[in-house]
Amino acid sequence: MKFVAVIRQVPDGESRLKIQEGRVDLSGATLILDQMDEYAVEEAIRLKEKHGGEAIVVGFGPERTEEAIRTALAMGCDRGVHVVYEGFADPVAVAEALVGVLKEEAPTLVLTGGQQADWDSQALGGALAEALGVPVVAWTTALELEGETAKAKHDLDEGAEWVRVKLPAVFTTQQGLNEPRYPTLPGIMKAKKKEIRKVQASLTPKVTLLSEEIQEKSRLGKILDGKDPVAAAEELVRLLHEEAKVI
Amino acid sequence: MPIDFSLTEEQKQLQALARRFAREVILPVAAEYDEKEEVPWPVIEKLHEVGLLNAIIPEAYGGMGLKMLDEVIVGEELAYACMGIYTIPMASDLGITPVLLAGTEEQKRRFLKPLTEKPALAAFALSEPGNGSDAAALKTRAIRQGDHYILNGTKMWISNGGEAEWVVVFATVNPELRHKGVVALVVEKGTPGFKAIKIHGKMGQRASGTYELVFEDVKVPVENRLGEEGEGFKIAMQTLNKTRIPVAAGSVGVARRALDEARKYAKEREAFGQPIANFQAIQFKLADMMIGIETARMYTYYAAWLADQGLPHAHASAIAKAYASEIAFEAANQAIQIHGGYGYVREFPVEKLLRDVKLNQIYEGTNEIQRLIIARHILAE
Repeated sequence: MKFVAVIRQVPDGESRLKIQEGRVDLSGATLILDQMDEYAVEEAIRLKEKHGGEAIVVGFGPERTEEAIRTALAMGCDRGVHVVYEGFADPVAVAEALVGVLKEEAPTLVLTGGQQADWDSQALGGALAEALGVPVVAWTTALELEGETAKAKHDLDEGAEWVRVKLPAVFTTQQGLNEPRYPTLPGIMKAKKKEIRKVQASLTPKVTLLSEEIQEKSRLGKILDGKDPVAAAEELVRLLHEEAKVI
Repeated sequence: MPIDFSLTEEQKQLQALARRFAREVILPVAAEYDEKEEVPWPVIEKLHEVGLLNAIIPEAYGGMGLKMLDEVIVGEELAYACMGIYTIPMASDLGITPVLLAGTEEQKRRFLKPLTEKPALAAFALSEPGNGSDAAALKTRAIRQGDHYILNGTKMWISNGGEAEWVVVFATVNPELRHKGVVALVVEKGTPGFKAIKIHGKMGQRASGTYELVFEDVKVPVENRLGEEGEGFKIAMQTLNKTRIPVAAGSVGVARRALDEARKYAKEREAFGQPIANFQAIQFKLADMMIGIETARMYTYYAAWLADQGLPHAHASAIAKAYASEIAFEAANQAIQIHGGYGYVREFPVEKLLRDVKLNQIYEGTNEIQRLIIARHILAE
């Protein structure tokens, strides 16, 4: 059996980003394995540990993406494939660029993060499934193999559903599916000897990136008059419930 | 050889692992263990799990064979989250180093391998209640009786002393011989007559256990002696020449933390209608911190590189240790100053940085001793 995790390298959420000539400048940013993809890597390794076979990491992006692939190898993936591409690519184009490698590998299933922390599309999983002509189960929080099929828990806004799907299939991953392990020091040392195959991506972006900007968050600055504490508390609860939708 | 400041791919991964470990495992519990003055065993267990504990042990004995440069990369990251907690693995490496330097194959297998198989620590015992800097004046006595030494005396300020599986104890076979009479003996935990008493009431680094060790007619087999009789002092000095480099790395980590906390606060705190980061008085402090961090880190890397190349490094490790601990103390001090009153209370993390890093100016040779080492190096020419 072959379990493939498709990953990306993205800026750390705590990185300070700046805009240079209409483009995000990543030169000062710490780049990491996308945390959503970490769940995919962890799940691929767990499936391999349980059912045998191979856990393979497939990374898409510029040369530096190799660092994220090494992290996945240090966590326990057996080998890596790096589909090299510099610059912006929309998820449908990425999926088309990956389909060759994925078909060649003929995996039991493909896992990838439910969303991408850089060009936040939430579309890569779906686009991969479309390109491969297989089913997709998005936002999974549990996954069980049952031979030709798999059973998965799919998160909904206010609940969840269990689904059964014929394999191969694509699953998108998120928090709750598992607890990603650390790439340990012995893992880092072993990863040095693991293979990363390089493939030059051939793709035509379908979406052209014109410019990027950083969102300036402005506060609403709403202040409740507390002269009547009971009324103020009721109004606060109403706002939190109806407008902020946090309770 | 050309100068190259880049880290290898593995070193970058190692740094990322240590940074993540520090942020996720150490940072959330640092204040709690500082308050309780207790050794954080769950953290030690996790350090072992990810392979960062006793990682300088060579692969032949079950370790990871980390080089000094790898060690300083890890040290800066762990100390960023808590210098006291970092002292635990650092002091274990201090105990391991004499075995690496002077142990036989058989001793390395016997003492080092068990430290890679479970969360376990080593310790190094040189200082005594009546002597520290004047290490050759030690009074702990080892008297040879057949195939044993009988050990009597007291050691002081021993990090990990009560937790360690074994302690390298420096004793004298004849005090009149001064440093020529020193012997290094590995004393195993639970040996009859060997007692560890925890020292309470430390100012900082309270998560690391510091002990007074008492030896009363402790029988130590001769096969636990590292090197020959009379070589103990040299073994101790060679060990410290290496292990001061991680002290420097830890100091850089503390200084970096001080700068991060100070920057964050200075950008949020307002005075005279604007963030205090707009004032040059604050900006100069931040700039000075950065000058210290960058230069201390570079020099620490250099000292580590010398050690890894097998080149003379005694003066370089002394410079790194003294300099880094001093810029770190000053960075912590200025971070408190920038925080004003808030810097003086435990609700904010900066007062702990100062309490913790004060020890970096004292242990593994006071900074005054470092200056003596440096001066000897200058005058030897």
